[in-house]
Amino acid sequence: MNVQVEPRERVLASTYACVARFGMGKTTVEDVVKESGVSRASIYRLFPGGKDQLLRETVGWEMNRFFTRLAEAVYDAPDFASLLEEGLVFAHRAIQEHEVLRKVLETEPDRLLPLITVEQHRVLDFITAFLLPYLEREQRAGRVRPGVDLQVAAPYVARLVLSLIGSPGRWDMDDPEQVRLLVREELLGGILV
Amino acid sequence: MVLPTMSHEAESLSPAPTESIEDRAVRATLACVARHGLAKTTFDDVAREAGCARATLYRYFGGKRQIVRITIAREAARIAASIRAAADAEATFEDAVVAMFVRAARELRDHEALQFLFAFEPEVVLPHVTFDAGTRFLVGAGSAISPALTRFLPAERVERTGEWLARVALTHALAPTSPIDLTDEAETRAFVRELVLPGLLRPEPTT
Repeated sequence: MNVQVEPRERVLASTYACVARFGMGKTTVEDVVKESGVSRASIYRLFPGGKDQLLRETVGWEMNRFFTRLAEAVYDAPDFASLLEEGLVFAHRAIQEHEVLRKVLETEPDRLLPLITVEQHRVLDFITAFLLPYLEREQRAGRVRPGVDLQVAAPYVARLVLSLIGSPGRWDMDDPEQVRLLVREELLGGILV
Repeated sequence: MVLPTMSHEAESLSPAPTESIEDRAVRATLACVARHGLAKTTFDDVAREAGCARATLYRYFGGKRQIVRITIAREAARIAASIRAAADAEATFEDAVVAMFVRAARELRDHEALQFLFAFEPEVVLPHVTFDAGTRFLVGAGSAISPALTRFLPAERVERTGEWLARVALTHALAPTSPIDLTDEAETRAFVRELVLPGLLRPEPTT
């Protein structure tokens, strides 16, 4: 089974390493061949779109890793509001400290941002699916406002969380009191009682 | 994208016709971008579209970069004014918020130049509305619409609320896979009532 999964993962991890070193524009399929040890022919079989597809899928791969780490960091929070508070603080710090992201945002935002936007719907689906069980638990405990449709509320919270992670705006995500206010008023005021 | 409006000495020297040269240049730039995008639009294209001699336009603006900057600043100011006007026509906070979202979404939908950029040159728009630039955009957009909120909210909540409304609108504009169509008034009203307003009215309701 791993025979098919493994080279693909290796190629994506190698593309990521090449981007970290050379940037998106200068990374070539040859670089990825060298870095991964996977042949050029195999890479094209896995990614028929060549460099463009490699870059796009590598962005998606890293976003997936990022949000998986985020989910692992907060999954055992005691309630939904705390989950979001912890998640925002963790994600904000992780974005600040993400060296590859920082570097590419600085030097090649025009290449990176459209790819992040293309891959964003998958992240939204991921966050929505992650949040839904916690919201259902709140609902069972009678803490969701009457009339709130969780199928609408979960994607709403997901998209605003994603917005806050990238662009905190006026909110200082290093200040727990501010994050608490943001989550309990703006973000969840319409959802929790 | 919210840039300070620049003042031009040259403007005060113009004979004040019905449409200033800056108006014409802005309109021409928008038309060119809507047709060919930003990268392919040249200074000559704008001059031709505006019906101005290249040399005249150059004297006023000095190049494509400046014309684009002025166009962005003017459009941002125009759209912000349109959104404030939509709120000003309403009597309650809920009606005002619904009207602002619907107006913003329709301004975006009907904006041919922005639609072209979103579809074909996202790399031109996204660096101005995401990550750190997104923070600057939200703070600017929030301040721009705040004057329309002062009659509904305690003073200390005004800018904070303006920014949140801008954020909700921006996130729908950037990922339009949303289940909610903000150009639709009934849908927007249900969404605002259920998810947005209660959070803005905590802890002390004002309507």
